[in-house]
Amino acid sequence: MDTSNKRLIQRLMSRIPIKMLRTTLGKWGRLTEVQLKSMNLTQSKWALTEKLIAICEENELEVKHLTELEMIYIIDNPNQGMWHTFQLMDPEDDAQSVELTQFKEQFKSHIRELVRQVSVKMKKHTDEAVWIRIAWGDAFSRPNHLKPTYVVHHLQTPYVFVTSLTAKQKPLLSQALVLSTRHQAIKDANLSGRKLTAIRDLMMRQYQQVFPTKYPSPLTEHNPTVSNPHIGREQAEPAANRLQMACEAFGGGMLPQLQSAVYKLETKFRDQTNKTMTEREEPFKCVVKFASTNLLESLRNCASSGIASTPVTPLLSSIPLKGRNYFVITDNGPGPSSKTDQPQN
Amino acid sequence: MSVLNPFSKLPGLNTANILLVESEEQFQQSLADALVEETAATVNVRLAKSLPLPLENEEDRPRIDLVAFIINLTSELSFQSAEASLKFLDPGYFLGKVCFMVTNARNTAVPTERLDAVRKLAASLHCPLLFAEDQTPDGVTNATERLLSILKVAAGLVPMTTALYLSSLTRCTVPPDIDQPSFD
Repeated sequence: MDTSNKRLIQRLMSRIPIKMLRTTLGKWGRLTEVQLKSMNLTQSKWALTEKLIAICEENELEVKHLTELEMIYIIDNPNQGMWHTFQLMDPEDDAQSVELTQFKEQFKSHIRELVRQVSVKMKKHTDEAVWIRIAWGDAFSRPNHLKPTYVVHHLQTPYVFVTSLTAKQKPLLSQALVLSTRHQAIKDANLSGRKLTAIRDLMMRQYQQVFPTKYPSPLTEHNPTVSNPHIGREQAEPAANRLQMACEAFGGGMLPQLQSAVYKLETKFRDQTNKTMTEREEPFKCVVKFASTNLLESLRNCASSGIASTPVTPLLSSIPLKGRNYFVITDNGPGPSSKTDQPQN
Repeated sequence: MSVLNPFSKLPGLNTANILLVESEEQFQQSLADALVEETAATVNVRLAKSLPLPLENEEDRPRIDLVAFIINLTSELSFQSAEASLKFLDPGYFLGKVCFMVTNARNTAVPTERLDAVRKLAASLHCPLLFAEDQTPDGVTNATERLLSILKVAAGLVPMTTALYLSSLTRCTVPPDIDQPSFD
């Protein structure tokens, strides 16, 4: 076993927490029952790594087996690193009929045409997602397995989620994806987050949505009603209204955990008291960033508690509506208050 | 515009009614839950985000004996909302039937000017100013006890004393040197 494989094992072992080690190795299935039992989990990480290297040498496991182990771990714990979303555009007629084996072959052949030294591994997860692990190399070096790119794609949907992709590799991946999924273009969907499940749910609208109704539904189950007859709410109706509005804008129940939303402002500075800035011709550039452990939850709470005005401003409500968290805001025409957000492609 | 009046309705027998006004509607709920536990008298709690109160509740609203404004010092909005709500109270309330309760006063992020502003407000209206801890159950119990003792007097449940008499003893006073820079 060469040093690069040893380093791969070391890297893997340092990432996998001790408690998850046994289940992950069990799922991997490359170790015999006896070998699995011989891994004493009370030992230090270092000792365990040495042990695993020895076992791998004994079983004559190669890089492709090790990458399998990495994929198993990453699929089970996808909430690491930053996930970016891309959207496939203009499907061709046969885009709906792309199936897994065809996609696999096409993707591999397309990407090998572009880069000679590349190692691609695909796996279909139980939730219908296709996981692709790509280790990139270039003309002079072998694929670097220490910095792989992970791509998650649900077949027959236009969404692709990617993590740790460099600018150099982006056009290569884009081309391979577009060709193998039978689409014509791909664009950045401007949505990124640390939780893959959250951005997937947001993109595919897999969260509880609330729709405006003329007859307010019984909100009792998610509105803590006053049980005690001695406690009376004076403004119960406006509060319920605000909650309804906030839920309409951001969704009800558990919301996808988004970490941040960025607004890049390229609008003119408007303030009557500050003449020098207002009269400047060029736009005033600044970036507004909202950050939270669960941004949508915070925004919904702001709206329902009355800190933010309701109905919710389209700037905030377009985060779940359009499924993106990066906006560029530019002046739209000469009107004084015509701030609109324009899709940036 | 409806102004809340302290004597427009008849009092109930052995009943005390308190109105908690808080723009954030966080602390008032836990306070209300603790207040209604009182057994010596029937305590009715009304919760509001701000004044004026909606007209449609006018009928079933009991006579309010004490109005407590809860101000979260970490939020400027909370103070402004309380200040704006004061206009919708009958002057009769300021004879001992209003008190201010401040939370988060020990938070280091709070600018000292805001606390001074609240103290000045309370002093100018001759109202008591209470400090409370809203995060711990003990803090809620303490705040409840303090409110209850004022409420009982304001509702006339304590013999030999009146709200006006109590307020002349408990009202907030501003130290004369509050506007001078401190040397710390």
